[in-house]
Amino acid sequence: MPKLTIDTIPVEVPAGTTVLEAARKVGIVIPHFCYHPALGSVGACRVCAVKLLDGPVKGLQMSCMLPAQDGMVVSTTDEEAQAMRRHVIEWLMLNHPHDCPVCDEGGECLLQDFTVAGGHGIRRYQGRKRTHSNQFLGPHIEHEMNRCIQCYRCARFYQEVAGGSDFGVMGSASRVYFGRFRDGELESPFSGNLVDICPTGVFTDKTARFRARYWDYEMAPSVCPHCSLGCNTVPAARYREMLKVMARRNDAVNGWFICDQGRFGNGAVNDPARPRAPHIGGEEASWDDALDRLLFRIGELYDLYGAGCLAVVGSPRLPLEGAVLLPRLAELLGARFLSYFVTTEESTRHTTAVSLLKGDTVASQSDVRNSDCIAIVDCDLMEEGPMLALAVRQAWRQGAPLFLVGKHAPLAQAQAIGVEAVQVDIPEEVPFGIFDRPVIICGARHSTPATIARIMKSGTTPICLLSGPNACGAALLARQHGAVPLAEAIASGQVKGVIGIEADIPAELLEGVPLVAAMDWRPTSLTEKADIILPTTAWVEMDGTFVNAEGRAQRFRRVMQPGLPIRGQGPALHPPRAHRMLPPGNSIRPAWQVIAALLERLGDEPVSEPLGDEWERLRSLDPEGEGICLFTEKEPR
Amino acid sequence: MELLLFRHNKPGRCTTFYEYRAEGGFAALRKGLAEYSPDQVQQLVIDSGLRGRGGAGFPTGKKWSFVPRDLPGPRWLICNCDEMEPGTYKDRVLLEANPYALVEGMILAAYALGVRHAFVFIRRGYETAATNLRRAIDEARQAGLLGDNILGSGFSCHIDLHVSAGRYICGEETALMNALEGRRANPRSKPPFPAIKGLWGGPTVVNNVETLANVPAIVLNGPAWFKGLAAIPEAAGTKLFCISGHVRNSACFELPMGITFGKIIDNHCGGMRPGSRFKACIPGGASTPYFTADHFNVPMDFDSVARAGSRLGTGGIVVFDESVCMVAVTLNLVRFYARESCGWCTPCREGLPFVVEILTRIEQGNGTADDIELLREHVRLLNHAFCALAPGAMGPVEGLLRLFEDEIREHILHKGCPFAGAPHYTGGADGK
Ligand SMILES: Cc1cc2nc3c(=O)[nH]c(=O)nc-3n(C[C@H](O)[C@H](O)[C@H](O)COP(=O)(O)O)c2cc1C
Ligand code: SF4
Ligand code: SF4
Ligand code: SF4
Ligand code: FES
Repeated sequence: MPKLTIDTIPVEVPAGTTVLEAARKVGIVIPHFCYHPALGSVGACRVCAVKLLDGPVKGLQMSCMLPAQDGMVVSTTDEEAQAMRRHVIEWLMLNHPHDCPVCDEGGECLLQDFTVAGGHGIRRYQGRKRTHSNQFLGPHIEHEMNRCIQCYRCARFYQEVAGGSDFGVMGSASRVYFGRFRDGELESPFSGNLVDICPTGVFTDKTARFRARYWDYEMAPSVCPHCSLGCNTVPAARYREMLKVMARRNDAVNGWFICDQGRFGNGAVNDPARPRAPHIGGEEASWDDALDRLLFRIGELYDLYGAGCLAVVGSPRLPLEGAVLLPRLAELLGARFLSYFVTTEESTRHTTAVSLLKGDTVASQSDVRNSDCIAIVDCDLMEEGPMLALAVRQAWRQGAPLFLVGKHAPLAQAQAIGVEAVQVDIPEEVPFGIFDRPVIICGARHSTPATIARIMKSGTTPICLLSGPNACGAALLARQHGAVPLAEAIASGQVKGVIGIEADIPAELLEGVPLVAAMDWRPTSLTEKADIILPTTAWVEMDGTFVNAEGRAQRFRRVMQPGLPIRGQGPALHPPRAHRMLPPGNSIRPAWQVIAALLERLGDEPVSEPLGDEWERLRSLDPEGEGICLFTEKEPR
Repeated sequence: MELLLFRHNKPGRCTTFYEYRAEGGFAALRKGLAEYSPDQVQQLVIDSGLRGRGGAGFPTGKKWSFVPRDLPGPRWLICNCDEMEPGTYKDRVLLEANPYALVEGMILAAYALGVRHAFVFIRRGYETAATNLRRAIDEARQAGLLGDNILGSGFSCHIDLHVSAGRYICGEETALMNALEGRRANPRSKPPFPAIKGLWGGPTVVNNVETLANVPAIVLNGPAWFKGLAAIPEAAGTKLFCISGHVRNSACFELPMGITFGKIIDNHCGGMRPGSRFKACIPGGASTPYFTADHFNVPMDFDSVARAGSRLGTGGIVVFDESVCMVAVTLNLVRFYARESCGWCTPCREGLPFVVEILTRIEQGNGTADDIELLREHVRLLNHAFCALAPGAMGPVEGLLRLFEDEIREHILHKGCPFAGAPHYTGGADGK
């Protein structure tokens, strides 16, 4: 472990740490553009200059390229080092358009920060600025090449990390250009990360263009709801409208990045058709009326068809807090049926997978990144967990071979990340035995319960992708409480009423069911059919917990106040003519609170904290930590 | 004077394979393979004092000795014939007259290094040289001097010719390797050095054409003979000097290493053109600081030229007479470098166009006294670029500031260029 001194502060770091990273450890941020922790050092921008005053290396050095060594005495404040850094900024500013006021990066721009910090303010270059034309890169990403500082981060991410081939650097000298050969939508399913990784405003989120500054955003640590991987995110909102989603670093899960689905697929939050107030028979109602009405209708139903002819239905997307209260709700309502899944198939696949999750035998995204052999069995990662494909590519870059097993593992998923794959028919053909850290990936969408069981028990570290952000939590509860798949319950002919809690139930299944009630934040076929609608909050409007496919529980925080976005409001609502403290559409509640209100009406004590019993340890879950793995004794990685 | 590199040259045409062989060509290869072990060949080169002719003058044998002997996997030899530095054309002349010495030298170097596959990376425009080389490689292969089991020695070696897509930076050895691998020609960071991790990750030696063409004669005649060719005891061998500019006879000469600069101009170039008086020159290719008439007695070898404040570089000498504006010359040179920057690092990509803009400003009469300090800062800070291109580009600027500051001040004071009739540059500041 080399010991060195940086600005009189003694530092000890593991061998191989660069001086730039060592300085960061003691809180000294050396300016950097081309260095990024996920991309490493390449020494291109030359802004990280420091002066080595004593020790094995002397003189002006680029701190990102310099491994820390014993006895180094580093100065970040030395006049020569500062002069170098000042000049680099001045050079980068020769051609920069200085258009911060109309740049969406303004306020979250590394170039802006370091330019201001370095004190560069007077222009000495008198030549004309170089200009570029921009490209259309699709509906999500705005391109403004004049702002480029040629740090090469984008090209390195896109080609090396994401394996894309339709974007890169062209030209040379001061005309280097970062873009596509021709205008057109970026092909990589991870293209949105360009927005995060570009230190200046070349790539900005087109979907949030000109909407807000960094300091306007409401932000909180969150978790992506789009698949069962649970990538960490930071959604940004303003005026009750979700504007965009950024990746949040979690080394055990998604690393630094997220997929485009997770970043750009969140329009539903702002959907004007979202249920915003309780409804009874299509008419808006108060919460009290709606809850009373629901209980009354259930009573009627029991009178008519016999007690217990009710199904309480959760789902793989319902946050854990709501999911854990469902068994009690079913019990107090006397409902004969509790469901977390719709079809028998889906249900057995999930319960099988979850029943075999144990010990430290499940692969996280990080395990996949560090594996030395990967088999994907009957699973399309692009559908079931895109970020796992990015993890696969990182392992492949280190030499791990990729095997695609079975007819539901399409080659296109490997092509999307620029990885060569070997196609085989059965998992037994993969020579796991000759590798040290192999992983095997399957998915609940195409793998049969038998296959899932075989894979989970194969001895090779497995991961089975599930059908939603809390599918693992739902499957655990389903096993624990003997839930039945809804389709089976309905087939028994005993279901006369269904309460769907953020559940996606096909309309055909409910034909002939006299009472349908829905708690949801999304307009679905269920809310369309429901006699009673109890609107809930989306994940960004509440605190909650998802348990991902590896059994990792992760907490997400409320990002924004629920309410009708200003944008899209008709003249009747905007400007507001009624005077009130709360925004319109604000009365929606997290599903668990709606359930708790029902429980209270049914005689229970008020619930202030839904996670009880064996879930209690999740109460203290740190939303910025790595999460808690439910099935492992070891410390979460 | 004894010639080494030009010994087999025929006036006005290229030597043939048969002539080269009849005159003792490939005898060194026979001798090397038959009498010496690879290590002995390397030792001969070390003892000869041969230094790289590609510009930096790094001792060739020492460079070879950095290649680990025991690493498994292939290792590579690359002959650098990119030669795009303005003022330098020696490798072209060499190959247009005789490609066989290079082929023979490469096989010997490959033998010494345990290389089984060597490349020649040649500048796109060098069509005649490339044709010659292609023919020489074929002829050598057909004669059993190249390919599998050369001359029954058990040693096998192949040579491939790769024609560059054409950028100056491709001559930088690590950018060259990227180009050869089909990547963008950006330099790689060192360490790791090519001798350890180069082409496709294998140990790689990159040598200049002239460097390698010296090897056969060293193997044949021994280090002492080679050293004796130089004009001064501290230097070794001969050097190709390619001269252009306002001299009477501008050509490429093979001369003893360490010959004085004045002798080259007076004895070999026939002095200045009629009516011209020597003002300055670029002594060793476009990246070397100027010489003036004060430097006529400097011996032209690596160490002596370095002591005189410049670099021997490639031996490409460009002579200017008194009608020439040194600001304009420098501007022209830096404009070349700004255009040829690979665009990887900030000081070079943005700093060079800035220097072009400052020099343009001065040349056009818009300069201020502050610009001199600004130029000095660039000379100082461009040393911290990613590769040697940007520091090289500052060579002439450093020379300008050190030797011709008065001339700069004159431009500033009189708001214009004092050299009537001298080339004026009125184009855009960024050279586009
Ligand atoms: C920008 C740049 C351009 C270069 N161009 C050439 C070239 O055209 N030919 C060459 O032999 N060396 C060139 N070099 C030097 C090579 O990097 C390398 O040092 C040389 O080929 C080594 O050969 P030597 O040891 O035989 O001199 C260049 C270096 C730089 C930095
Ligand atoms: S576009 Fe952005 S990330 Fe790419 S090189 Fe330019 S500044 Fe860097
Ligand atoms: S991989 Fe899944 S969890 Fe991760 S960002 Fe994409 S959709 Fe969201
Ligand atoms: S100094 Fe930098 S920009 Fe210039 S050629 Fe070298 S690496 Fe490229
Ligand atoms: S951060 Fe070190 S050179 Fe860019």
